[in-house]
Amino acid sequence: MNFAGSQLEAVLADVRRGMIPAHVYGDPQIFALERDRLFARSWVFLAHESEIPDPGDYVVRRVLADSFIVARDESGAVRVMFNMCLHRGMQVCRAEMGNASHFRCPYHAWTYRNDGSLTGLPFHAEAYGGEDGFPREGQSLLPAPAMGIHNGLIFISLDPGAPPLPEYLGDFAFYLDFYTRQSPAGVELRGPQRWRVKANWKIGAENFAGDSYHTPHTHASVVDIGLFREPKASKRKEGALYVAGPGVGTTYKLPPGGDFASQLRYVGYPDAMIPAMAASWSAGQRALIADSGFMVSAATLFPNLSLVHNWPQIDERGTVAPFISLRQWQPVSERETEVLSWFAVDAAAPEAFKRDSYKAYLMCFGSSGMFEQDDVENWVSITEMAAGSMARRLRLNSRMGLTSAGQPIKPPLATFAGPGVAYQGFGEFNQRHWLRQWSDHLEDPR
Amino acid sequence: MTARPLPYGDPAHQAAHQFLVEEAALLDAADYSGWLDLLCEDIRYLMPVRVTTARGAGFDSLADMGHFDEDMYALRKRVQRLATDHAWTEDPPSRTRHFVTNVRTFRNEPGARAEFLVESAVLLFRSRGDTREADLVSAGRADLLRETGAGLRLARREITVDEAVLRTQNLAVFL
Repeated sequence: MNFAGSQLEAVLADVRRGMIPAHVYGDPQIFALERDRLFARSWVFLAHESEIPDPGDYVVRRVLADSFIVARDESGAVRVMFNMCLHRGMQVCRAEMGNASHFRCPYHAWTYRNDGSLTGLPFHAEAYGGEDGFPREGQSLLPAPAMGIHNGLIFISLDPGAPPLPEYLGDFAFYLDFYTRQSPAGVELRGPQRWRVKANWKIGAENFAGDSYHTPHTHASVVDIGLFREPKASKRKEGALYVAGPGVGTTYKLPPGGDFASQLRYVGYPDAMIPAMAASWSAGQRALIADSGFMVSAATLFPNLSLVHNWPQIDERGTVAPFISLRQWQPVSERETEVLSWFAVDAAAPEAFKRDSYKAYLMCFGSSGMFEQDDVENWVSITEMAAGSMARRLRLNSRMGLTSAGQPIKPPLATFAGPGVAYQGFGEFNQRHWLRQWSDHLEDPR
Repeated sequence: MTARPLPYGDPAHQAAHQFLVEEAALLDAADYSGWLDLLCEDIRYLMPVRVTTARGAGFDSLADMGHFDEDMYALRKRVQRLATDHAWTEDPPSRTRHFVTNVRTFRNEPGARAEFLVESAVLLFRSRGDTREADLVSAGRADLLRETGAGLRLARREITVDEAVLRTQNLAVFL
């Protein structure tokens, strides 16, 4: 059965009015559309330049089932190549990381330079009659149809007609800098931790996008034990939610009366890092912290890259240490997701800070993180419930923050220093924005 | 490890093996405060991320990234959290079984402290809910056990997990 036409139209119409048909979180037909209409077109994060600092360094990453080698070639350029041999289709590189000048296919030894060009073809004369039978010149592993790099973040799109990456990122680039450009040295990524969860990939993306409402209850335990710097998780409702281009995110309200430096100190940044942050960020970016009084927390860049910034207490003395994590929700099927979770830290930060920040990350997020543990339990449960017949009769109310007439309960913040639209308090503005982009992709048959 | 393991009949080996079995019993009974009592105050509890690399690469785990890299503060917080009424991922709790085998005990380099290096294999079976498929986590462990006045205590554990991509929803468990 082809799931399209009026059936799909009805699902998307419900999603757009904030009433999500529950089966979209466990439906193989929806998943097929996501593969063909969303992941085949959208910009997708693969790796960060700091993971491949030297010529020959590579990592292997996927966009759903498609495996790519992300390599730094001998000239220092980043190359993204489809990891399938031109001859018989074997996966050319079966390691997930390393350093290599060449990749040799194990099957018949076709060999490619780390820029993807075909250089070795055994018995070329005997087997093909040389260049006449198989012109070797100009042959290379298929390059990613489109590639772009922003703050060292390497994205690809399977759509050669995708808009340029800067155009796609739009206003969200403003917020991305808080996570990935705290100094001119940029950020360095470690990891990723990888694990598979029996949950639909959309749930994590939506949760990080804007679900400040879950924090007081889902994460009550980390408040109970004093890991959280904020004494009450209900403080989350004072934060602002913003929608900016393809990205959406959450913030925390900072204590009143602080300035730029004192607010960064409040969340645990050492004095040694603050001048670089001031120099690295624009007046508008500084004003978001200093004047608007908000500090970025969780965010999602459509479709499946999320970011988080938090500041727990990491020892008996109450030392507060902030950390940054990037994570990707890599779909495996409609009911399984591989999570890739990186620890990120300013490359120029003092070693002591890097150590503390790493500890903060491990305690809070990632495969063992105490925040994340409870998140995943929820997402697995939603996915299980979404797979049955009754889920087709249930529309999940995602209209938080709106009146029955569809107007915001409270007007947008008038003094928010960042681009886009921001609301203070609880609301599902961000999830709806994420889902509108999802709907736009799914309904486009091209 | 180049040294030869202690003979299985050696009382030090038997004590180390019994320590690991008793520890597993505490973990499977979810007696986490009892488990903390078996740890030295200066414990380091590590579980590096394993990666798939070429045979000649010279490494198969990440030096700077773990699933765990814990000191006593971090482990106490994890145990405190599980004891709250709000640790949803373990409520209802997992049913776990730690199978501990392949135990080899080595006398540590002669030093001031009576310490033993103990290698073991652990297979964790973890079942959640009534209908979900169970998870398995297989790992090797390299432990440093220290003789104290109160008996053996764990001073360091490095867990070498056998998967690059974990197939369990989180590590709200100890290995």
